[in-house]
Amino acid sequence: MAEKKRKERAGGGESRTNKKFKKHSNSKGLTKKSKDKSNMRRKRTGPRLPSALRTELDRLNARISANSDDEINSDVEKDVYEYEEEVPQEESRKNRRFDPVENYEYELPEDFEDENVSSDDDDDDNDDDFDVGGNEGNLIEDLDDSDGVEEEDDGRHLRMLQGITGMSNDAFEGKKKKNNVVISEAHPESEYNPTRDVLEGDGHITVQDLLEPIQGKPGYSKLRKRVQYMDRKSTSIQAPLPKADREKLERMAVYEHSKKDITKWEHLVKRNREAPTIFFGEDVDLGFSTVGAIASEFEPRTEFEKKIASLVYDDKVIEAHKADGSKLLELNKISAEDYMKHRNHIAKMRSLLFHHEMKRKRVKKIKSKTYHRLKNKDKLKAASAEMLMDPEAAKEQARKQEFKRAEERMTLKHKNKSKWARRILERGLNAQDEGTRAAMAEQLHHHALLTRKINTVKDSSSSSSDSSSDEDDEGSDQDRASELLEKAKEKTLKVLEDDEEVPNSGVLSLPFMVRGMKKRKEEAIEEAKLALQEYEQLEGTVGAVNLKPATASGRRVFGMANNEASESNNKIKTDNKKMKMDNYYGNSDSEDDLEAKENLNITGGRKNDVEKDAGPNCVHKEAADVRQDSVFKNFDDIVRDPGPKTTYEVAIFTSDSWRKMKSENGVDANVKKSQEIKEPIVQNQDLKEGEEESDSDSEEQMVDGILSTGPKDSYELPSQSELIRHAFAGDDVEEEFEKDKQEILNDENPEPDKPVLLPGWGQWTHIQHKKGLPSWMLKEHDDAKRKREETLKKRKDAHLKHVIISEKLDKKAEKLQTKTLPYPFTSKELFEQSVRMPIGSEFNPETAIRALNRPDVVKKPGVIIKPIKFEEVHQHEKPEDHKRSGQKRKPNRSKGAVGKMKKQ
Amino acid sequence: MGAKEENGDGEMDQTVKKYLRGEAANLEGLQDKKLKGQLAIREELYGKSAKAAAKIEKWLLPSEGGYLEAEGIEKTWRIKQESIAREVDILSLRNQYDIILPELGPYTLDFTPNGRYMAAAGRKGHLAVVDMKTLSLIKEIQVRETVRDVVYLHNELFFAAAQKKYPYIYNRDGTELHCLKEHGAVSRLQFLKNHFLLASINKLGQLHYQDVTMGEMVGNYRTGSGRTDAMQVNPFNGVVALGHSSGTVTMWKPTSAAPLVKMLCHPGPVSSLAFHPNGHLMATSGKEKKIKIWDLRKFEVIQTLSGHAKTLNFSQKGLLAAGTGSFVQILGDFSGSQNYSRYMSHSISKGYQVGKVLFRPYEDVLGIGHSMGWSSILIPGSGEPNFDSWVANPFETSKQRREKEVHSLLDKLPPETIMLDPTKVGTVRPARKKEKKPTKEEREAEMEAAVEAAKDTDIKKKTKGRNKPSKRAQRRKEIIDRAKRPFLEHRVEEQETFRKKHKTNMETEMPKSLQRFVRQKAT
Repeated sequence: MAEKKRKERAGGGESRTNKKFKKHSNSKGLTKKSKDKSNMRRKRTGPRLPSALRTELDRLNARISANSDDEINSDVEKDVYEYEEEVPQEESRKNRRFDPVENYEYELPEDFEDENVSSDDDDDDNDDDFDVGGNEGNLIEDLDDSDGVEEEDDGRHLRMLQGITGMSNDAFEGKKKKNNVVISEAHPESEYNPTRDVLEGDGHITVQDLLEPIQGKPGYSKLRKRVQYMDRKSTSIQAPLPKADREKLERMAVYEHSKKDITKWEHLVKRNREAPTIFFGEDVDLGFSTVGAIASEFEPRTEFEKKIASLVYDDKVIEAHKADGSKLLELNKISAEDYMKHRNHIAKMRSLLFHHEMKRKRVKKIKSKTYHRLKNKDKLKAASAEMLMDPEAAKEQARKQEFKRAEERMTLKHKNKSKWARRILERGLNAQDEGTRAAMAEQLHHHALLTRKINTVKDSSSSSSDSSSDEDDEGSDQDRASELLEKAKEKTLKVLEDDEEVPNSGVLSLPFMVRGMKKRKEEAIEEAKLALQEYEQLEGTVGAVNLKPATASGRRVFGMANNEASESNNKIKTDNKKMKMDNYYGNSDSEDDLEAKENLNITGGRKNDVEKDAGPNCVHKEAADVRQDSVFKNFDDIVRDPGPKTTYEVAIFTSDSWRKMKSENGVDANVKKSQEIKEPIVQNQDLKEGEEESDSDSEEQMVDGILSTGPKDSYELPSQSELIRHAFAGDDVEEEFEKDKQEILNDENPEPDKPVLLPGWGQWTHIQHKKGLPSWMLKEHDDAKRKREETLKKRKDAHLKHVIISEKLDKKAEKLQTKTLPYPFTSKELFEQSVRMPIGSEFNPETAIRALNRPDVVKKPGVIIKPIKFEEVHQHEKPEDHKRSGQKRKPNRSKGAVGKMKKQ
Repeated sequence: MGAKEENGDGEMDQTVKKYLRGEAANLEGLQDKKLKGQLAIREELYGKSAKAAAKIEKWLLPSEGGYLEAEGIEKTWRIKQESIAREVDILSLRNQYDIILPELGPYTLDFTPNGRYMAAAGRKGHLAVVDMKTLSLIKEIQVRETVRDVVYLHNELFFAAAQKKYPYIYNRDGTELHCLKEHGAVSRLQFLKNHFLLASINKLGQLHYQDVTMGEMVGNYRTGSGRTDAMQVNPFNGVVALGHSSGTVTMWKPTSAAPLVKMLCHPGPVSSLAFHPNGHLMATSGKEKKIKIWDLRKFEVIQTLSGHAKTLNFSQKGLLAAGTGSFVQILGDFSGSQNYSRYMSHSISKGYQVGKVLFRPYEDVLGIGHSMGWSSILIPGSGEPNFDSWVANPFETSKQRREKEVHSLLDKLPPETIMLDPTKVGTVRPARKKEKKPTKEEREAEMEAAVEAAKDTDIKKKTKGRNKPSKRAQRRKEIIDRAKRPFLEHRVEEQETFRKKHKTNMETEMPKSLQRFVRQKAT
């Protein structure tokens, strides 16, 4: 087998071996040869196939032949020949075997066959011969194989000769024949060692072989004739295509057909697709709509329905009903009294029920906490009473309690974990009102109660202090601190507010005692105040830096109010001062300084307070003090707060006092400063009060020394100062504006930071030091600068000297614009042009709105959309001018609108 | 005849163009057939709408605006009110009057958007509501404190008055409805009727915006430039402009703390300003005796006129009234070239100080509030002759008013729609400056944070079989994986793009002679 394959792969040589082998079989008898010849003769005209394909085919054939059974040998042979014939004549040496046309008549296959199968005796000999031949063939083939190249050369040579002489191959074949040497097989033939003929296709048992044994039997000749006929007439039958291919072809055909069929819908679909609006069921009559109408149409269909119907509509039943209905009713009769009684009873019950219901409703609605508390208490009481009375109930109660406790331990529901509690803690407990605080405390208490059992079990030391400490633990550190502060504050406040009643009699009522007590009390108050201040400061540090605590106490508010008042006064003046103030803050004071001053201030103020008795003056001072304080705080804030606001806020909060302070003091001893500061403030305040009064009397009159801004409201002649201000207003307006613009530009496009080196970095030696900044740093800086300049140039107000247009992004307004282009659009312009027209009723005439705003599909409710129906549509027809049956389309858009309006 | 028709067609085309509101999209180069078809249909509809609107304007609008025309050496500004009175009909004659109320000080006025009602406020606390059609007093009250300004809210039922300490809102019957304490001592009030915002500037220079529907304070900004008396809303975009003593005009919107625009208009204090109804023109007057007209599209001066103006006002048709002392001057441009020149002038009795001039909408009437009451004079060609009942209806019935109120409330615009160019709404947002890509470390940190957050999530307790520790662990792992996924995906994507880039780079970077050896993609 393997051998064979190898041979086949050898290519052109293969066909020759076949042929040679046949020659050997000739020696046995000519049966095969003659048959082969006849076959070949018929099928010589094959197309020339590429050699690669040919070998492939050959191999296939060979395999089939090897595998196949004896019965299909003939077929196989045919196959073999079929492929062989595809070898062009000149290439195959078989050509030599069959003769030119004259030979054709001469060799009749039947005769040979007859001769060949003449006797059974012959068979053995034949077999022997055959065997020998086969063996020889095998050897020969081996030989052939070895010198395949040579043979190929021979083949070429033959072809050449043929080409030159125009004679058939046979003429030159003789030489070749002589070359064949008969070599016997090495092993005797047996079924274990089959001859080559058996292995090769050629040696296969043919139909003729099979026919031989039944020779002479009845029907033999008939059979033989048929076989012969078949041999003669046989044509190669195409093998049926694989199923998959067949189906594919079928599908293709069907596809072609259905494609053609479907294209007729194309225009229809296209029209529908392109139509801006599709109308469904414009003229569908919805028919009956009432339940009665539908019910009257009812016809019994199922068995059951029919039965029912037959019963209901039975004549007898109807008749009986008509006849006896009244009698039946009579049977139902009850006495009037009974009826009345019954009715009254029902009414009573009903009213009772109703009242009860109303009561429950009312009770259920009660939201009062007190009520519920009392109710719960009652319940508890009842439960406890029950517990005492009934051991079962007690057990139940204990179980419940235990369950609750377990639940609490598991969920920690009351441990400030709820959303509400967390939110409140987040906002700070101090900011809440009393009720909330109480609620929080209550919750914690609840938790403590529920979890206490364990504590008692564990260390048997449950006390209120314990629980409170628990509480403290729960909050975060910050909260605890703030809470502590809060408590302390409250206590001090209490001390402050506590007016000890001076006893009217006894030792304490003695004047010196009273004085002493007063003194002590004052001291205490002072201390308390100090403590309060500290608390507040602490609080300020604990929480974010906020000024709110300042407003918490009443005094602070007063200070703030003052502040505001001064703000309005000094605004005009600040215009020019703004820059100065900025400088002032830029250069000198750091936060700490300010705070230190503040503290000193406070102490100074306190001293004053202590020294001087209570009076209006004192009040002023105190107020001033506090105000100063707040101003400081404000400044603090401002200093901390970066950003554009700074200048404004500075402008607002600067006051006379500041300027004066600066001009007078410079940098002096702080205590002294604080003393000096007060005076102008008090003055200022006085002025303010005066102004307020004047304000109430005559509208915004001028207070001497202070100018009111802008054009005056009243219709009196402007005062001298105002005139002066107006006259000189234009002096540096432009310059200021310029500065403003620069500021804003810097703000919106900040200048790049100057490149700075980390001190000592990269400066190990003096050489590096000399080099200065690395080049990449400089480059980066330059780039940033250039970029900034470019952006500045791109600004809308780059060429407008007198205009600042803010380029700040408004995040809120951003949502009014689309982030990306909506889907089908690819260019921004197109999209923006397509949305340029408003489509609201305010902007369009009544006749156009509906068309502009019509939805994609117009359909009446209740209309069933039928599947699309075929109709002729011209390709280039406008979709509007078309009507469809069932799914009708409006004839004209604008007209459609009118028509619709009419309908409505 | 033919020429005339042509002329008419041209006119029609002009109006159609106006109603088309800009160029139609050019569909020539559009690849997307479907979109093309849709847009074509849309454009057709727009065209039809515009045509219909143009036709309506041509045939159905009842009246045309007129104006004074001088003959010969006559000058329009020489024409006195008396001479006008001789020519006009009785109804118009009723609009010429002076109301003298000497006690309660200078008056300020405001009209409802439809011009039917007027609120007048005397400095000394006199508030009056007048029906201008019947010239009957609906209600007057004395609030017994300073009133600095009065403004109507969305209809005649409510008005706000800036009083001594706070602004108040009254209804038509003079009942005080609200006291807006947050505004403080307000000097000027303005109402933005599309946004239902009441804007005020108080004596401390703080600008407040309050939503009058819900009462919410929308914005509260410090102008930082002191007190001002010049405040006006640009009717085109709802931007509030303030004139300051430093000669600057700032423009504000309720959603930004910084002014949108700050422009230096005058070297001296700005005494008043006004906006043209189309929003493109602004007139400012300074104390240095100049009136300037600005083009707000370019922020440039169009025209500088000399003269004081304590108060300025544009009429619906674009006439500009300027009042100073006891003299009122009306400027107009009838050439359409935005070149304002003297059109009319009117002087009230000596000693009366004009405080406020205000054109009455849909009427050729100018209301003048002065120190001795208020007057009304005729200015031909000032008012819009045809009203649009969608916008404002002078003959509104109470039912219509109610309808309108509901409609306008439904159509209320959010405050963030106020911007310098409202046509930008709905367009594509300009590409932001490229945000710096987060570095690898940052991304890692982000992922870490996400994972941590995922770890912290509470796992829902499931039913018995599914609450095993192994299942829970699995679930937790899943959650974490899910949190990680976007980051990992991002990373993979990045790698992919990098690889692609690298590949293309390789190809292009090859020397020319070697490029032919680069493996070609199978096509």
